[in-house]
Amino acid sequence: MSAEVFKRIAEFLDSKIGEEDVGQPYFGNPGYETLPFPPASFVLIKDAEPKIRTAFVDGGNQEILGAPNFSAQINRIYFNIFKGRDRILPKSLPRRIEFYSATMSDFRNDEIFYDTRLFPLRVELEGLIPEDRHLSFSSVDRTVTLGTQRADIRHVASVARRFAEWEFAKHVIENELENGDLIVHDGSLQTSLTNEQTYMARALEAAMEKGVIFAGISKTSTLFTTTGLSLLGAVQKLAEDYKVNGPWCIPIARVANVQHNAFIYVVKLHESANYVFRYEIYGEQARRMSEEDFCCVTSALANNSKDLSFPGYPYGLIDADSFARVNGDEIDTYRVPLMSEISKLGKWKKISRHICSGDAHSVLDVLKG
Amino acid sequence: MALEISGQIIAGKTGQILAREKAGGEIEIGDLLVAEEDDGGYVILQAYELVYGSQVPQLVRELLAGMKLEGMGTNLDFLEPQLRNYVIAQIKALLRVCKNNELKIPKTLPKFFSTIRHVAEKDLLFLTKPGSPVYLGKVRSGSKVLDVDVYVNGKDMLTHHVLIPATTGRGKSNLVKVMLWSVLAQDCLGILVLDPHDEYYGRHGKGLKDHSAAKQSLLYYSTNPVAGTNTLVINLRSILPSHFQGIVEFTDPQHDAISLYYNRFRDQWIENIVRGTDIGDAVAPRTLEVLKRKFDNVLGVFIDDGGDFQCRSGVFSDTAGLATTREIAKALEDGKKVVIDTSRLLDEAELLIGSIISGGIFHRYQAYKSEGTLEEKPVVSVVIEEAPRVLGADVLAARGDNIYSTIAREGRKFKVGLIAITQLVSLIPRAILANMNTKIILGNELAAERQAVMESAAQDLSSDDRTIASLDKGEAIVSSNFTRFAVPIQIPLFEKYVEENLQPKEKNKTVFVG
Amino acid sequence: MFKFAHLADCHIGANRGPVLEKLELAAFNKAMDICMQETVDFVLISGDLFHANLPDMYVANEAVKKMKEVKDAGIPVYVIYGSHDYSPNGTSIIDILDSTGLIKKVVKGEDVDGKLRLGVFTDAKTGAKLVGISGRKAGLERNYFEILDRECLEKEQGFKIFAFHSAISELKPEFLAQMDSIPVSLLPKGFDYYASGHVHKRTESGFAGHERVVFPGALFGGYSRDLEDSAKGEKRGFYIVSFDEKVEEVKFMEVSVCDFGYFEYDVSDRNSMQAKKDLMEKLSKIEAENKITVVKIKGELSGGKTSDISSGEIRDLMKENGALDVIINRYGLTSKDYVSVKVVGEDVPAIENRLLRENIGAVKVSLEELKADKGAKLAQELLKVLRQEQKLNETKKDYVERIQKHALNTLGLGDEG
Repeated sequence: MSAEVFKRIAEFLDSKIGEEDVGQPYFGNPGYETLPFPPASFVLIKDAEPKIRTAFVDGGNQEILGAPNFSAQINRIYFNIFKGRDRILPKSLPRRIEFYSATMSDFRNDEIFYDTRLFPLRVELEGLIPEDRHLSFSSVDRTVTLGTQRADIRHVASVARRFAEWEFAKHVIENELENGDLIVHDGSLQTSLTNEQTYMARALEAAMEKGVIFAGISKTSTLFTTTGLSLLGAVQKLAEDYKVNGPWCIPIARVANVQHNAFIYVVKLHESANYVFRYEIYGEQARRMSEEDFCCVTSALANNSKDLSFPGYPYGLIDADSFARVNGDEIDTYRVPLMSEISKLGKWKKISRHICSGDAHSVLDVLKG
Repeated sequence: MALEISGQIIAGKTGQILAREKAGGEIEIGDLLVAEEDDGGYVILQAYELVYGSQVPQLVRELLAGMKLEGMGTNLDFLEPQLRNYVIAQIKALLRVCKNNELKIPKTLPKFFSTIRHVAEKDLLFLTKPGSPVYLGKVRSGSKVLDVDVYVNGKDMLTHHVLIPATTGRGKSNLVKVMLWSVLAQDCLGILVLDPHDEYYGRHGKGLKDHSAAKQSLLYYSTNPVAGTNTLVINLRSILPSHFQGIVEFTDPQHDAISLYYNRFRDQWIENIVRGTDIGDAVAPRTLEVLKRKFDNVLGVFIDDGGDFQCRSGVFSDTAGLATTREIAKALEDGKKVVIDTSRLLDEAELLIGSIISGGIFHRYQAYKSEGTLEEKPVVSVVIEEAPRVLGADVLAARGDNIYSTIAREGRKFKVGLIAITQLVSLIPRAILANMNTKIILGNELAAERQAVMESAAQDLSSDDRTIASLDKGEAIVSSNFTRFAVPIQIPLFEKYVEENLQPKEKNKTVFVG
Repeated sequence: MFKFAHLADCHIGANRGPVLEKLELAAFNKAMDICMQETVDFVLISGDLFHANLPDMYVANEAVKKMKEVKDAGIPVYVIYGSHDYSPNGTSIIDILDSTGLIKKVVKGEDVDGKLRLGVFTDAKTGAKLVGISGRKAGLERNYFEILDRECLEKEQGFKIFAFHSAISELKPEFLAQMDSIPVSLLPKGFDYYASGHVHKRTESGFAGHERVVFPGALFGGYSRDLEDSAKGEKRGFYIVSFDEKVEEVKFMEVSVCDFGYFEYDVSDRNSMQAKKDLMEKLSKIEAENKITVVKIKGELSGGKTSDISSGEIRDLMKENGALDVIINRYGLTSKDYVSVKVVGEDVPAIENRLLRENIGAVKVSLEELKADKGAKLAQELLKVLRQEQKLNETKKDYVERIQKHALNTLGLGDEG
C-alpha cells in the first residue's frame, strides 16, 4: 500500500521539477543585476600550483545553559592558512579563540531586550572579539525574529559568534596575510543583522587596504531560477547539457549595496564533485580584478578542494569547521562547572526555576530513552 | 640530543591507555615507550595493540577507498593525511621509575596528553647485572634491539623453576644454549640437561664444548661419545624400583613381583628379572614374562642366546657404569653442567635416566637440608624438553607423581629446580605452572597455549595475546618474579654469541713425562 | 699363537709388616713363576709395579731377583709407570731397572703441533705393537690423553696393545666414583687389547671401538681395603692373553698366596664394654689358623670410648688363634659419647681426601690451584710425599733434600715443567 503512495510522490516530484527550461537566476530584489546563462559564461578553472595563500575562517557556538530569559553559550572562532594543499603555520595570531557569552533579557522602554556580555577565556583575546555594546537587540528586532514571534534568546545569543567571525577575519588579514592572498568566509558576503554591517565593513576595509581578496563560499543556498528550480541545480544541468568538464565557475549576479557588495558565482571546484557552491568575491575587488587575477584566486581555491572526503569543497573549510564546531558531547564539560559555581553562590534554585519554565522537551526526551 | 617523540596519550584507562602515533613515529606491537613525569621520573609503557584512527567516518572511508579502487578518484587524495588518518596505539604502563631510581608498579595514569617516546638505553639503567647472572639476551622494543643486556639471578631463577613455552622453530634450543653458555663457569649452579636432539654439546659445529671453562665445568655423556667425553652407560644396579615411578606404568601384580625381586636380590633385581630367575610361586610366570618384555622395551635389556646380558642401546649394562650416576651427581653438586645425549634413546629410557639422577640429587639435597648444610650447596636444575611427558595433567593422573613433578612442586625448598621446555603449556596443571616463576615466552601461534601462558605469568599479560602471537624467531618475553616487568628480549643467535664471547684457549707446549 | 701376561698394581713395598711384606713378594714371585711356566712371550705390567718410585731396597732387591729369572728365561718384561712408582724426572726405580735392561719402559712421546705423538714399541718376537701412557699423580695423565694423537695410533696396523694406568670412568666401581678417571673415549680406538691398571678391582669389559679393556686388579693388595676385599672373596691374580692376529683368549690366572678370614662386627646398641666383651668372645671362636684375618668393626657405641675396644688386644687374640696377620678396620666405629668428625670413607686415602675437601674452605688462599678439589688433591699428594720415610743408608741431609725436591715438584715449583 505504502509503495503505491511513494510511487505517486515520486511521480509528483518528477512532474513538478521541469528541467526543460532552467530559466534565469532570480533574486527577487532589483538591487541584484543577474547575468544570463549562455554557455560561454562557464569559465574552466585551471589546475595550477597556487602562488597565493588562502585563509579560511569559521566559527561555532552552543548553548551551555539556557532559559527563556538567559542563554549562556560557548563560542569558537578558528582560522587556518593553506597554500594549495600545504598548511602554513600562523605567525602570531592564535589559531583558535574561545569565549563565553551570556545573553540576558531585560525589560526596558516597554519592551524586552536581549543584551549579551562576552567573557573571553584569556585577557589577550579581548581585542579580537566584538564589543558588548553591539550585542543588544530588541526581542522584536526584525533582523532576529522568526515570523511575528518574539526572537528566541538563543538565536540572539549566537549573533556574537557571527560578528566575531568578521572581526577575527580582520585580524587574520592584518596579521597573517599579504597582498594578493585570499581569505574565505564561510557563507555569503552579506549582512542581515543589526550592527553586523559594522563588523563586515571593518573586515572588508582591512582587505582593501592590504590587498587581500575577500571571498565567501556558502554551504547552503536558497536561490531560485525564474522557472522555480533551485539555482544551483539548474546550473549543474546546464553544465551537463553543455558538456562542461572539469572544475568550472559561472558568474550569476552582481550586487552593490551597504549590506551586500559582491560578485556572485556558482562554482564547481573539482571535476568529481557532486556539490556546487555559491561563491562570492567582494564587489570592490571583483570589479577591478583582471581575468588573470580571478583565475589565480579561483584556481587556488580549487587546488585546495581536492580532498577525498569531500571533493570540490575547500579542505580549509572542512578543517575550519571541525575545529570551530562545538560538539554536543563537549557541552557537559562547560555546563557542569557553571552549574557548580551557581550552586556555590546558593542561587541554583532561583536559576533552575527559570530553566524549568522554558522547555519540557528534554524531560520527554529522557523518558523516551 | 632530545629524543624524538613517537606519540601522545589521548584517552584510555589503566591497562588500556590510548596514544596517537605521530606520523612516522613507527610504534610497533611490543614497543617500549616512555612518558616523562613532572617530578623527574618516568613511566615505561608498552604498546600491545594498534588500531587505525581517522577523522573521517568509516563508511565514508569505505566509499572513498571504493572510489580510488574503481578509478573514480583521479586527482583526489587526502589532504594532510598524517593529520586525519593515523594509528592509535593501545598501551599499558609497565613500570614507574621514580626520580630517585626507585621502581614501582604504576598505580596511576600518566599525565593526560603526555607525549611518549621510544625507550632509550638510559631509561633502562636499572636493569643491572645480578649475582649468579644468567644471560637471556638484549632488551627488545618491538623489533628493535637495544644495547641493554638482560640478566636474571641464576640462583633465584633456577630454584623457582623456569618454563620455556614455544612452538617449533622459535628458538627454544638456541635460548637454552645461550643461557647455559653464560653460566658454564659459575659453580654455584649445577645443571643437568637431557638433550634429546644432541644439540647442546656441539658435536658438529659450535656448542658448549667451545667455552673456555668447558674442560673443568662441562661433562657430556653419550652412547656415541666424542673423544674426551663420557660414554653414557648406567649399571642396572643403579636403578631402584622407585625410579620408574610415574615414568613406566606397572600393574599391581608387576609391582608385587618387582618388590619381591628387589627384596630378594637387592640391587641385582633387574638382572634377575631379565634372566628369569625363578623365585617360586610368588610370581606368576606370565607376570615375569611381561616384566622381561617391559624391561626390553624400556631399557632395551635382554639375555642373548649365549646367556649373556645385552642392551640394545648400549646404555644399560650389568658390568659397566657403576659409578656413572654418582659421578654425575657429584658433578652437579660441584656446580658443573652435565649434558646427557639422549638422542638415541626412547622417551621412557631418557626420562628414567633423568629420574635416576634427579631423584638422587633431590634426596641428597633433602638430607643436606636436614643436616643444615644445604646453604653451601649449589643450586641444581634439570633441563627437560617436552615437559608434558612428565608434567602433563593426564600423565600425572594416570601414573601418579614422578620425580619431575615432585621437583616442580617441592624442589624450591631444596634448591633443586626444573627448566621445562614445552610446546603445549595447556597440558600442564595450573598448580605446577604457578610454581614456575620464570617464563621465557617465545612465539606461539596456538591461541589456547598463549592463553595458558598468560594466565600463569608473573606479570599481567592479559593484553599481550597479539604481542606473543607476533613474536618472531629469537624474540621472547621474560615474565618472572625476578624481573620488575615482563621484559621483551632478543635472544642472540648462539653461534654469534659464542663468537663474541670466545676466549682463545692457551696452547702451551707439553712436556711429556712417561 | 702367542701369549702375553698382563699384570698391574703389584705395589711391591706397600706392606710394611714382615708377614704381609713376605706375602706380597710371594704373590709377585708366584705370578712370575706362572708366566714362566706358561712360557708367555712377554710380560706387560701396567703400572705400580712398585709402591713408590724409590721403594725399600730389600723388597726391591727380592723383586729384581725374580725379574732377572724371567729375563733369563727369555721373557721380556714391559712396564709403564704407575701413579706410585712414577717419577717426574726419570729417577724412579723403574728407570734404573730399565737402564739395566731388566725391564723395558714402553712409553715415549713428543709434542707434535700441539698433539702428543706416542712412540710405538714392537715386540721383536711376536710383532705385537705396544703403546703406553704412564700413570701420574693425581690423575695428571689425563692431560696427555686429551692432546693424544689418536688418529695416528688408530692408523697403526698389526696387533696392538695400549697400556695405561688410569681408572676408566665407565668402569669405576661405585665406591670409587670420586676417583680421578678418564672416559673410554680418550683411548685410541681399534686396539686389540687395552691393558690397564690403577683400579685394584678386577674388571673385563668392552665398548664399541674398545673391545677389550682389562683391569687385572691388585696382585696382592697395597691397601687395607684390598686385603678386606680379598678376605671377602675377591680373587687376585693376572691375565694371560693368547693372540695371533687378534686376541683368541683372555684367561685369568689366580695368584693365591694365603688364606683370608673376614669377620665383621656391628657395635650398635652396645656400650664399649659390652661390645668389647661380645666381640672378643666371638673372635675367640673363629677359625683363623694361618689366615690373614680382617676384622671390621663398625657402628655407633651407645656409650664409652672407641679406644676401649683395643686393636692391640684383638690382634693378640687373633695371633693366639694362629692368624698370620690381623688387619683391623675400625674407621666406621664411633661412639655417642663424644662428637667425632663424621667421615664417610672406608680407607685412609678416601678419608684423607674427604677431610681435606671439607676443611680446605677454611684456608684462605688466592690461587685457584689451591682451592676446593684441586687444592685438596694437591694437599693429599703433598702429604704422601712428606710421609716418605728415610731410606736405609740415606743421610739426613739427603733425605731432607729429597723430600724437599719431591715436595716442590709436587707443588709444581720444582724443576719439572
